Formats: sequence, C-alpha cells, structure tokens
Amino acid sequence: MEKIDREEFEKRLARISDLFADMVQHADEQSKTRCPYKNRFNQCTAKFGCQNKRPPRASESLPACVSDDALDYRGAWEANPQGYEEMRDQLQSDSSAVSSEGGGPRVICGDQQCSAVEGRTIFDCADQLSVAVPTSCGRHGHCHECVVQIKSGMQALSQPTEAESFLRDNYRLACQAVIQKTESDIEFTLLRRSPRILTSSVRRQVEREPMVRRQGDEVLYGGEVIDHYRGHVYGLAIDLGTTTVAAELVDLESGNVVYEVSFENPQRFGGSDIMHRISYDGGEANGELHRAIINTLNAEIRSFCAQLPVTRHEIYEIVVVGNSTMRDIFFNLDVQSIGQKPYKSSIENEYLNGNRDSTELVELARTFRLYTNRNARVFGVPLIASHVGADVTANLVAMDVSSQSDVFLLVDAGTNTEVVIGTSDRLIAASCPAGPAFEGGVVTYGMPGCDGAIESVRYDAKARRFDYKTIGDGPPQGICGSGLIDLLAELRRYGIMTPKGVFADKARELEIVSDYGITLSRKDASELAQAKAANYCGQIILMRKFGVKPSQIHKLFLAGGFANYVDSGSAIDIGFLAPVPTDRIVKLGNAALQGARELLLSQSRRRAIGKVVQSIEHVELETMSDFFEVFVEGCQFKPMDYSE
Amino acid sequence: MAELSDIQNEFVRQEIEEYIEREGERQHIIDLFAPTKPSMQAIAAALLDGQHHTVDKLTRAALDDNVGALEVMDNGLIAGMAIVGIKFRENFIFVPEVLACARAMKAGMAHIEPILSASGIQPIGKVIMGTVKGDLHDIGKNLCIMMMRGAGFEVIDLGVDTSSDDFIDAVEEHEAGLVGMSALLTTTMPNMGRTIEAFIDADLRDDVKFMVGGAPVTPEFAEDMGADGYGDNAVECVDLAKRLLAAEAADT
Repeated sequence: MEKIDREEFEKRLARISDLFADMVQHADEQSKTRCPYKNRFNQCTAKFGCQNKRPPRASESLPACVSDDALDYRGAWEANPQGYEEMRDQLQSDSSAVSSEGGGPRVICGDQQCSAVEGRTIFDCADQLSVAVPTSCGRHGHCHECVVQIKSGMQALSQPTEAESFLRDNYRLACQAVIQKTESDIEFTLLRRSPRILTSSVRRQVEREPMVRRQGDEVLYGGEVIDHYRGHVYGLAIDLGTTTVAAELVDLESGNVVYEVSFENPQRFGGSDIMHRISYDGGEANGELHRAIINTLNAEIRSFCAQLPVTRHEIYEIVVVGNSTMRDIFFNLDVQSIGQKPYKSSIENEYLNGNRDSTELVELARTFRLYTNRNARVFGVPLIASHVGADVTANLVAMDVSSQSDVFLLVDAGTNTEVVIGTSDRLIAASCPAGPAFEGGVVTYGMPGCDGAIESVRYDAKARRFDYKTIGDGPPQGICGSGLIDLLAELRRYGIMTPKGVFADKARELEIVSDYGITLSRKDASELAQAKAANYCGQIILMRKFGVKPSQIHKLFLAGGFANYVDSGSAIDIGFLAPVPTDRIVKLGNAALQGARELLLSQSRRRAIGKVVQSIEHVELETMSDFFEVFVEGCQFKPMDYSE
Repeated sequence: MAELSDIQNEFVRQEIEEYIEREGERQHIIDLFAPTKPSMQAIAAALLDGQHHTVDKLTRAALDDNVGALEVMDNGLIAGMAIVGIKFRENFIFVPEVLACARAMKAGMAHIEPILSASGIQPIGKVIMGTVKGDLHDIGKNLCIMMMRGAGFEVIDLGVDTSSDDFIDAVEEHEAGLVGMSALLTTTMPNMGRTIEAFIDADLRDDVKFMVGGAPVTPEFAEDMGADGYGDNAVECVDLAKRLLAAEAADT
C-alpha cells in the first residue's frame, strides 16, 4: 500500500479546515435571517416539527417551508419530539377534516370537529383539525397572534393566564387555553375569517407616476436611491376598515394589480367599534392593536410571497387609508384625543396649530417591522377632520371629486359612516358613529359578509316564510348588512314590524330561518334602528347645511363595506339612504381601496387631493341644536322625510 | 492560462459557468481543474452534487487504479469542495446542501483512512458527538462535525435525541476520550448536565472530557453543569477539542 507523507497530509487538512471555517462563518451569518434547515428549494430538512412546515409541493418529497427569511424563524420551531411526531403524522395523512370516532364532547371549528381531550390546548385541537392559527412565537403566549373567540364551552377551559391579560370576554389565546373539563362541546372561531373580497368595481387606468420607480439598475423613492432593481417594483394599497381590511399588491411599473386579499380586522379583541378600540388602546394593553394589524399584514405578505414570484424586498411603498383611528393606530400614534371632544387626532391638532403642513404621514416601514423592503415607506393618506379619515379622502380620489360639477352625496357606510356633500367647489363632511350593527356586531345573528351570510331576503307572504340567498350559497350562519337592510324593509312592507321596530303581536323575537335557528329580536331591531339613525342624521343634516333636497342630488355615491351589495330600494324604504331616484345611485365598490391604489400610482393625484382635503368644511353633527330630534326621527324605519 | 473548455467533465464545466462569477476566482478554479484527470473531475462532480454513494464508488475505483491518495484529495475532494464553498458564499446553495457535500466528502475520505493508518498517521483524536435527549436540532452539531472531521478527528455521530445511556455506550464501545454535546433549547439544555451526572454514576466521568455548545448555552452554564469546555461556534469547537485532548493526555 502506498505511504503518505505526514507533512503533506497535514497541508491538505489545513486547506480543508480553511475552506470549512469560511463556510461555517457564512452559515453563522446567514442563520440570523434564514432558517438553516431550509434548503435551496425552500424545502424543510428539519427532523423536528415547525410551524412553517407544509406538505410537500407537487412532485416533491421533502416538506415545503413557507418561512421567508423573517426576522426570527426560530419561533416557529416545535420544542419537543412529540410535536414533531404529531406534525409528521399530520403531514403524512394530510387529511383536511378529522372526524372523531365515538361520542363525547367535541371541539368544533367551522364544519370540522375532533374529540375534546383534557390537557390539550385549543391550538393542539386546531392542529388536529388542520385549522391554520397564526403564530410567530412558538406558542408561548408572546406574539398574541393566536387570538380565538370561544363561541361556547368557555367554562371547560383553564383560567386565562397572565399572557392573556389583554383579552376580555370570550377571547382567548389558542396556545394558552387548555381543555380542563370534558363535559361540554367547545366551539371556537378564528378572528381572521375571509370576508368576501370587496375589490374595486372600477379599475380605471391611472397615469403612472409613482413615488417609487426604476431608473436603470436602481430603484428611486422620489429622487433618492433606495435599492438596486430586483426585477419588479411593487407597492401595497391597504384599506384599514374597523371591521375588514382589504389590500392590493400593485406592480408600479405596469399599474396592474397582482394580488388582492381581504380579511377581518384582527383588532376585534379590542372592541368592535372605534370608541372601544380607542379606550382599549389607552389602557394597559397599549400597542396591542398596532401589533395585531402589523402581524397579520406580515403574515399576509409572507403568504403571497410564498405563492407568487414576488419577494418582500420588491415592495417599496405602502399606501394606507382608513378612518382616523385605524390609520393612526397603524402608525402607532396615540389615538386618545380622537376619543374625546372635540374628537381631533394628535396629527390634526398639530396641523391646526401650524406645526405640520398637512395631515399626511410618511414613515419607514421598518419602523413598524413591516415585512417589506428595508427602505420601503408607508404613506398615510391625509385625513379630513375628526373621524372623517383617510378612507374618505381615498373615496374622493376614486370618484374623481374634482370633476363633480353637480351636487353629489357620498355615503361611506361602515362601523363609522362618513358623509360628504357638495360639488368640486365646496365640500362639507361629517361622520356618524353608526356602530357595528350592520357589520356583524351587536345583532344576535349579525355577521360580516363572509361565506354563509344571508345577503338578501324576500318575504313570501303566501308561504309566510323568508326566502333568502347566502354568500357562497351554503347553509346560513347569520345575516350580513345587506341582508339586514332587506329584512327590515320586507318586515315594514308586509307590516310585520312598525316604523318604531315593534313586531306584530308584540312578539319579542321573529323567526327568520327557523331551520337554522336564525332570529331577529326586539333588541336587535333597536340596535339596527340606532345604527340606521346615524346614517340618516349625517345625510339629512348635510343636505340641510348645503341647502339641497334629495331631488337635487345628482349622484349618490355609495362606498365601503356592505353598501355595494345593498338593495337601493330597501335602503331608501327604511330611511338608510336619502330618497333619490335609484338610477342616480352609484355603487363605488371598495372605493377607499381604489383610491389608495390610485394614490400609490400617481404623485399628481396625491398633490391634488392634498389641496382638496384642506378645503373641506367639517360639521360636528352632535353640535347641531336639533341633533337629538333628528336622531330620534332617524330611528324610525321609514323613508327619510325631508321637509325644509 | 487554461480555458473552461480544457476541463473535460461537463458537470464541472457547467457548475463553474453557472455559479462562479468573480473573474479571478473563476480563472483560479479553471486552472485548478484543467490539468486534472477525468476520473478526479468525476469525483469532484459527484461531491458537488452531494452524491455520497457515487463519491464512495469513484474514490475506491481511483485508488484501485493506483491514483495516489493525495491526488484524490487535491484534485477530487478538495477541488470539489472549493466550488461548494463559493456556491455557498454566493447563496446559490444553503446549509443542507453544504452538509450533503460534506457527507459525500466523508465517503471519499473513508477509503483514504486505511492508507493513512498504514502510513502511521492516526486521527488526531476520537470524539463522540450528539444532540442531547429531547432535542431534535442538529445543524449546529453537524457543522461542528464537519469542521472536526476536516481537521482530522475521527467523529462518531450519535445524531439527535441522544440519551445518557447512548452516550455512555458509545464511549465504551469506541473508547473515546471526548464527548461533545449540543442543545438548542433552554428546556433541553439541562439534559447536558444530566448526561454528565450519568457518567459520574457509571463511574466513567474521569475517563472523558465533555465539551458543550448550542444557542442557549453560555460559558457559565457550561461550568455549572460540570462540562470541561464550551465552544461558541463550530470553528472554536476544533481548537477546544484539541485543547481538551491535550489536557486529557496530560492527565493520564
């Protein structure tokens, strides 16, 4: 056998050691941002379980990794070998629904269920049901992303832990809620259901002159070089509603919408209307609402980056619209002053005091740990006044306010309804705190416009029953805004309910869909009456202020939330909308999102709307001397009576 | 100056073409490969592809064909690894691929070991390595093993979720004087101390040195649990192992 010289061999070892030392150093550096178990095909090679692990993609053998090089991927790692076994079994079986054998109490989520087993967390059950609960801390109660609503069976769960002290009512963290008693069923829902996507109905082409553009091999924000060109320049337009959030990923070079998504606002645990959110944010849990929306958005960005040939580094600008409170919580600003008279945000106060030029906001996205390019900016569209926020500004962009020479009325119906009246020369705005009754809150069987929501209702007088249509045509789970308006109108048309909301035969409750136990109570009717009255007051007071009658309104623009699906006739019959001829009603779809997209694409539109916003007059409805009388009148379910 | 076309192996040519962008570096690698035998290029190609069975077969065949062991190392294994290093540095491949290449390299080195011992060259030491009980994270440990093998250690890899008994059995079976333990979780870190205690109970503590590492482990923890040394990273791990073995030799 050949002999090897020791010295020569040691030279080779030194060479190998040098090579390896460089690699190990690089591995160390890289592991700060990229999970070391993720291979070049973004597959997972880890022997342990991980939240980012998914069943193998078609024709692949290793599990897929859906982590993108996030700030900390370690949080997703499963701590114990059992976790890994479970995850492996789950990946292998990849069964969508686990039907549990035998009787006994169940854990239910949507149409899936499994046995309730003592000692398991709700998160464990969600895993078994293949229900994806968001998390980023490895289920230790730190990230606060896994909030679930316990519909029933609260008493079967362990007491809320320290980590859950920011939650109230029947909200729990899935990772902390442990099944203690197996006596009754436990039903939970995720906060993040997917409502029907309200995409902009009009996708008009806008002149393309975005803030962020490519110049050769560079990407510029304004005049500043912020990155090298990576193949695309994307922007995100986001409409932050109190109840739902909608976003579009826009290719800033072509102007095309590449992806759209909408979801329930994850801040629901802080209350369903603005005032509750403000008081929640002023308490010990300050910052939770901001974190909740940022985390959810980051999860959305990760998810579409995994599906599309898009990397987060190619997202350079985010345009945010929303009412004053939503926008400012997004920017992590103190919103307490919006909650108290005279309802002005800190930004508006600074503007009014001359300490800033406008109410728009610009911030680096990384300040909020938004998962985008390092140098991406967030543009907060200027707000108008008080609660009349950036969403209304965006509506005005979408309806092209500067071309409106005839009188128009804009109604953005939502948890907070905003109304604007005028022409391109003079504009008056007001906001009306309607509350969430038409958006899925407070009404017993109310729900947002998700699958299973009754969206339209007709009364069959002969059969004495209600015919209805649900979103997605599945079995009804509740009634959304457009369905409620139809229902109220039909109840009036057939005399089943008086204008004051009293049911025939003094019934306390009406059966709407008896097969599914869906009812409407007197209390529900009263909540709806008040929400409707807020809409009524806004419209009638502004018409008075501007000095026009409904017949003089040339166009009634309907924006936001469920308004797009509302039957105009029904809305007019119960006094939800001003009685203009229905052919003058223009449904804008999600105009706020459309406006946000146009502002993302066009700097000249930003400048133009900035000027318009500063010229708008604002009316404080409550300060009108006869506000209370108008409100009481507005509580009646009958067409708006305009006598002046 | 050699040209890319002077390299006969197509796979190697493609790899250079595709992944080595810096001009000087590219020329260096081309010069390195151009004069080598096709059989050596084939070993490098298989290593680059992470095919350890192929490297095993080709190395055996080359040695049987009377190619010198040093030539196999230089022109096959190390030359291949040089390209791996560049691909990794430029983020064309990641840690799992690098470890696959390292495993392929080990398959080749396995045939060279008997020649080394016949030449009177012994491994510089024998080390038992494993991730402790309850812990399934192995990347850090695997990088350490790669470094140690590269430095001339004989490493017995016990893998993940290693019980105290597994460590004890391995030490007895292989007569190793050094044990390396890794843990990535604060919850499993105490199992390092428990393993050391198990060695004390088995009356084996004096026969071995323990070195520990992993994200949550600090020098203080290492000392508290009674370990002999702590390594902050895989590079340090090699020096630490050398020091501990020297101390071990001095002890006996």
